[in-house]
Order: sequence, then C-alpha cells, then structure tokens
Amino acid sequence: MDFFVKMREYFNQTGNIARFAGNFFTVGMKPRYEIKELLAQCYFIGYNSLPLVGLTGFIMGLVLTMQLRPSMVTYGVATELPVMVGIAIVREIGPVITGLIFAGKIGSSIGAELGSMKVTEQIDAMEVAGTNPFKYLVATRVVATTLMLPILTILGDAFSLFGAYIGVNIKSVTSFHLFFNDIFHSLAYSDLMPAVIKTFFFGFAVGIIGCYKGYFSNKGTRGVGSSANSAVVLASVLIFIIDLLAVQITDLFGLN
Amino acid sequence: MANQVENNAKLGLFVTIGLLALIFSFYMIGKNQNLFGANFQLKVRFSNTSGLIEGDNVLFAGIQAGTVKNIEIVNDSTIEVLLTIDDKVKPFIKENALASIGTEGLMGEKVVNITPPKVPGRRVKDGDELASRKTINTDEMLQTLSQSNNNIAAISEGLKTAVTKLNNSAIWELLNDEGVVNNAKITLRNISKASANANEMTKGLNQLVTHIKQGKGTAGLLLADTAMAGNVKEAVARIKSAGNNVNNLTVRLNEMVKNLNGSLNNGSGTLHMLLKDSTLAKNLGTSMENVKKGTDNFNQDMEALKHNFLLRGYFKNLEKQKTKQKLQDSLKAKELSLK
Amino acid sequence: MKTAVNASNTGSKNEAVIVIENLCKAFGDNMVLDDFNLTVHRDENVVVLGKSGAGKSVLIKCIIGLLKPDSGSILVFGDNVPELNHEDLDRIRTKVGFLFQSNALYDSMTVRENLEFSLRRHWIEVTQHDIDNLVKEALENVGLPNTADMMPAELSGGMAKRIALARTMILKPEIILYDEPTTGLDPVTAREIDKLIVKLQKKYKASSIIISHDMNCVKNTADRVVLLLDGKCYTDGTYEELHMSADKNVKQFFE
Repeated sequence: MDFFVKMREYFNQTGNIARFAGNFFTVGMKPRYEIKELLAQCYFIGYNSLPLVGLTGFIMGLVLTMQLRPSMVTYGVATELPVMVGIAIVREIGPVITGLIFAGKIGSSIGAELGSMKVTEQIDAMEVAGTNPFKYLVATRVVATTLMLPILTILGDAFSLFGAYIGVNIKSVTSFHLFFNDIFHSLAYSDLMPAVIKTFFFGFAVGIIGCYKGYFSNKGTRGVGSSANSAVVLASVLIFIIDLLAVQITDLFGLN
Repeated sequence: MANQVENNAKLGLFVTIGLLALIFSFYMIGKNQNLFGANFQLKVRFSNTSGLIEGDNVLFAGIQAGTVKNIEIVNDSTIEVLLTIDDKVKPFIKENALASIGTEGLMGEKVVNITPPKVPGRRVKDGDELASRKTINTDEMLQTLSQSNNNIAAISEGLKTAVTKLNNSAIWELLNDEGVVNNAKITLRNISKASANANEMTKGLNQLVTHIKQGKGTAGLLLADTAMAGNVKEAVARIKSAGNNVNNLTVRLNEMVKNLNGSLNNGSGTLHMLLKDSTLAKNLGTSMENVKKGTDNFNQDMEALKHNFLLRGYFKNLEKQKTKQKLQDSLKAKELSLK
Repeated sequence: MKTAVNASNTGSKNEAVIVIENLCKAFGDNMVLDDFNLTVHRDENVVVLGKSGAGKSVLIKCIIGLLKPDSGSILVFGDNVPELNHEDLDRIRTKVGFLFQSNALYDSMTVRENLEFSLRRHWIEVTQHDIDNLVKEALENVGLPNTADMMPAELSGGMAKRIALARTMILKPEIILYDEPTTGLDPVTAREIDKLIVKLQKKYKASSIIISHDMNCVKNTADRVVLLLDGKCYTDGTYEELHMSADKNVKQFFE
C-alpha cells in the first residue's frame, strides 16, 4: 500500500515538473521579457560561480592526471597522458563535474531563495505588484542557468586542462606548447560538440528543478531546507540521466 | 545603479571569455582537421587500410600535412582513401610519391605516410592519385623484439656442440656404424620437422599479431591488447631465433654429410686413422643420441606451444584441415582400390 | 477613532467598491468559504474577524486574484475578479493594495528598490524624479524617512511592517487589504500601526478590509466588523454592536 502511495507521489511530481517545464516555454517565453533581472541572474549564477567551478576543475584535472600516470607508465604510454586526460576532461569529466558543482551551488540557492520567497509571501507580493512571478523569477533563472552552464563548463575545462598540464609536469617535463598541441590534436568536433550541447540541458535541468522545488516549497523553514536539498539531489540525478541519454544519442548518430 | 553597471560589465567579460574559449577550441580542432584554410585533395588506393578511419592524420615525410577525409570501398580488393592536404605542402609532394599506412607510435592511431620519391617527379595536382606501398609493420616489430630464447636456445646450443664434435671427430667410425647413420638421419628429419614447425608457428603468430594490431576499440581494450601483443611478440621472436638456429644446424649437418660422402670417396689420412678409434666412434654415437634428444625436446616445446592458449585456435584449425585432408586422401585411396 | 460610514467627502457616497456574492472556496474536502457575502463601501474600514484557519486570508487573496474561488463573484469596481485576464487583473491591482501578514519585503532588494518595484512594474511611464518623490513621500508617511538604503533584513519587525505599509500605499490605492497587520508585533508597535492605518486611510480616502483577530486593532480601526464563521458571514455590525452581543460565538472574541 505504502509502495503505491509512493509511486503515485513520484508520478505526480514527475508530471508536475514536466508541466512546470512546459510552462517555462509557454508562459516564460512570452513578452514582456525581464531582461534586467535576467542579466542580474546571469551575473549571480554565471560570474559568481566561476571561482568555485575553476577551483574544482583545476583540482580535478590535476588529480586525474596524477592518478592516471602510474598505469600509463606501466604500459609505456606516459606520453599519451595529455591525450587521455584531454579527452576525458572535455568529453565527460568537465561537463559532469561542472554540472554537479553547479547543481550544488545554484540548484540549492535557487531552491532556497524561491522557497523562502514563497514562504514569506514575496511571490504573492510580486504578483500583486503587477509582475508575473513565473516570468520574473522562474523564467529568468532557468534561462540564466541554461546559458551560463555551458560557458562555465568551457572555462572549467580550461582550468581542468591547466591542472592536467601541471599534473603532467610534476613527474616529467612537457612544454605547454606540446601539451596543448597533443590535446587539440586528439580532439575532434565529435568530442567537443556533444559535450557542449549536453551542458545546455544540464543547465536547464538545474534551473527547472531548483525553481520547481522552491516555487512549490512547503511552509516553514523546514520546507525551505528540504526544497533546497531535494533540488540539489534531483538536479544531480537528472544530470547523470541526461549524461547517459547524451552518450546514447551521440552513439546513435555515430559521433563516438 | 553603479553597482548594476559594474556587474553587467563583469558578466559581459565572463561571457566573452567563455565564448572566446569555445570559439578558440572549435578553431583549433578545425585547424587540425584542415577545415579552415586552403587545401586540396589526393586519392590513394589501398588493398587493406588496416583500420584507418576518417580524420586520421596524413604525414608528409613525417610532417603533419592533412587528414583522411573519406574512405570508400571500390571493390573487394581496393579501398579508395581521399586525403585532404594543406596547400602549404603542395609544392613538395610529387606525383610519384608513395603513400603507405603506418602507425603513430606503438599503439597510436593509424596515419597515412606520404614518402617523397628518390627520383624527381612532377608536382601533384588537386585530385591526383598517389601510388600506395604495402608495409609490414609486424616484421619490424618482430625484428626489434628478438631477445632471450631460453629453452630453445639451450637446445640449439646443445645441438651446436654436438655438431662441432661431429665435425672434429671420428667420421670413419661413423661410416661403419649403421646406427649412427640412422641416428643422423632421424636427427635430420627431426630438425627439419622442428624448423617446419617453427616456420608455421611464426606465420601463425604473425597473423595473430597483425590481427591484434588491427583491432580497434576503447583505450582500455587497446591497452590490454598491447600487453598481450607484447607477450606474443616476445614469444614469436624467441621461436624465430630458435628456428634460425635450427636452420643453421641443418645446414651444418648437410655440410657434414657431404663431407662424409667426400671422405668416403677419397679416403684421406685422418679419416683412416679415425676408423680404428673405437672410443671416438662411441663418443660420436652418444653425440648423435644427444642431438636426437635435443631435437626431440625442441619438438616437444613446439608441441607445448601449440597448446598454449594464445595459439590453440590457430593450430586446431590446422589440425582440422590435416585430418580433413587425410580423410579425403583415404577416401581417394579407397576409390582407387575399388576401381 | 471610528469614522462614520457616511462621513465620506467624495462625490459618490455609499458607493459599493467591493461586492462579494455567494463566494465558495474549498481546499480538498475542507470548505473554507461557503456562500460568503460581503459588500464594502467607499471610505469604509471593514474588519473581518475570525479564528485562525477560518478562511480570512483566503477571502482577501480571492479579492486580489491570488486565489481562484470555486464559485461566486467578486466585483471590484464593477469587474468580476475571477474572470479577469492577466492585464485587467494588473489594472485592478494598481487600485488595490495588499499588506501581507509576513510583510513580504523582497529581501534581495533595498527598501528603496522594494518601494520602487511596484511603481516600475505598474506605471511604466513614470520619470525617475516622480519615483524619487513618491518613495520619499511614502517613507515620510510611515515616519521612516531615512531607511531608503537599508536592506529588509536590517529592519525591526515594526519598521518592516511600516515599510510594507509604505510599499502598499505608494500606488495610492483606493482599496487596501490588510492581512493581520498587527500579528507578531508588541502591543505598543501594534497600536502605532493601527494609528498609521487609520491616518493613511483618511489621507488617501481609501476603503479597506482588515483581517484580524487582535481586538485592540479591531477596536481602533473598524467602521464595521464582520465575523467569519464556518465560511459564512456570521454577524455584521459596528464594534459596539458586537461587543454588546449576547451571542456565544461573538462573545468569545471579546473575552
């Protein structure tokens, strides 16, 4: 019995999220556009996340290189290390790590912000003040996350590769030029393209989930907390699901 | 308000840098694939592309000159590869240049090497077809990897000493001793069988290594493959050198038998004296015995190798074919007898 | 403190600005409003009295269009709110102010931005000079002229309520809906807010509906008191009339 109730709840929520995402396209994409708020959100979501994304990316690149090195040396292909790390970062680790960090930082902040706005009636107040809160709050944030995450990912990749460069140079010496050539030599459009495209979806998922959880937050501080928490959890899971879908789709198109 | 403007400026900077990074990466990748800049096209026909794929590099005298644009099967023995070559190297490629498929590094990707010809030629035009050259990289690999050949080498060492003794000792005795001659015959047969086995083995391993080398897959698989390929290569190298030793032995034995024949006809002094030395003759007999044992051992080794998991499949096939052949032969014989 | 119903000095005395008829609203099986009727006239302060969860907040949220009633009509200046489209609703909302129970100040904005928000939203054609003057006037009205650059988090409860009131009044609405304006405030501050409500109501000649269960607030502000019980308009009269009432349900509020 309990199981069926939970299943029902799950389908209910999935349906609601889908409807919410649909609203984003039907309501959120209509004029009037909240350009100023969008820019403010882009600044907050994109620019302010850069240090965090840069740091995690850098460490990830460094650690990955140092972890891979021993086995590459065992097989006598230590010189292929930049290629290996470059492909791993650009194709998978960069987008996913950035997406997860982004979900953690932005998903929770959107969930908590909208949640507390909901609880303190600020969302109602906006509506009374002649503003469509869906457009003003949700659409701007979702557009901002969708547009900012790809940029963050690219910059995060750059930081990661720099970390990898340092990682390679800890145990051996490689000129930056050679490292750089190695990486771009081994990369193809079919590596970069799907990686960039999927980050748009990651960003959209983080934005929609954060907004949904906040917008329909329960009353009280616990409601706000749980909406922030579940926003992060759900967004992170969605990132992995989208990642899986992305790799299957690229496979279908023969881009792997 | 001022804060807002400043924030917008920071946002603008952030977005601009991000987009520039993206555009830059696209450009770099495109540059490597010769999508930008002037280029022209060349055609090469291969009978086997050894796993070449679109986007692989084309090297002209070892310098990155372009990429593989298209691979098309023309018929069952011809594959046409279309190369996109940077205009910058156009003046240097002559129409009688040779194209071959090679490998970048030990386990790297396939590349098309364009080798400048020794004799002068006309410059290539857009759409020209270059002649292709078959290369057997496996041989190079086998040659580079011939090192210790422990067991087999020991056997051949034994054989060598035996032959030396034979060469220097009682040959007249040999003539009188039927058993020794028989032993020598058996030894020779064994040796030739051994070298045949070695040859077969080498061929099989060659084929195997080629397969492994052609095998494509993810990086992990490739690594696993190389590890295996390394083992196989070493084994092949050992066997090959053993085979060579055996060949040498055979040649020497042949020489010796010739000498024997010669001595018999001429009847020279030393031989005559040797005839009477019975201990020497005995020694010679044991030497021959040793040689026989040695070759037997070698054959056993070969037999063991046959059952090695790596090569089992290959030899099984061989055996199957043999039994098939035998069956057919016996059938034919029956038919004949019936007639 | 009470203002007589007919003491209005506008032309249209006794003109009904809000007419609610047969209003029903249920959440699940819980009938919150069940055939509720109420008429509010110009310049009239109506207090809606009721227990917590009796549906008072639901009532005014239906009036402003934040909630959609299940049935019934709410006429505000002659327009039926539940049937209005978004644009017309926004037009009505410029004339109807709403003071939220939790103030609902946008905590990511300064006080000034809070006050400007609805101005910029509703009156698209307004100069910065006008906005500055209106903000200044609104802050002076509530006696907090120097708070413009503070953040809502820095304000005390009473100050926040005043700023919220200033934000509600900045559009000079003709109807103001107060959702429990004195809840959560100390008695002294609560009386100050009462006085402010009456003062501003007189100054801008607005009608208002005040949701409350604070009897002091009711006494100070009400022209007329409506008791909401079981989703219906239980009694309707002046504060004195209800105070004198022998009805058990009415009496419990005055004890």
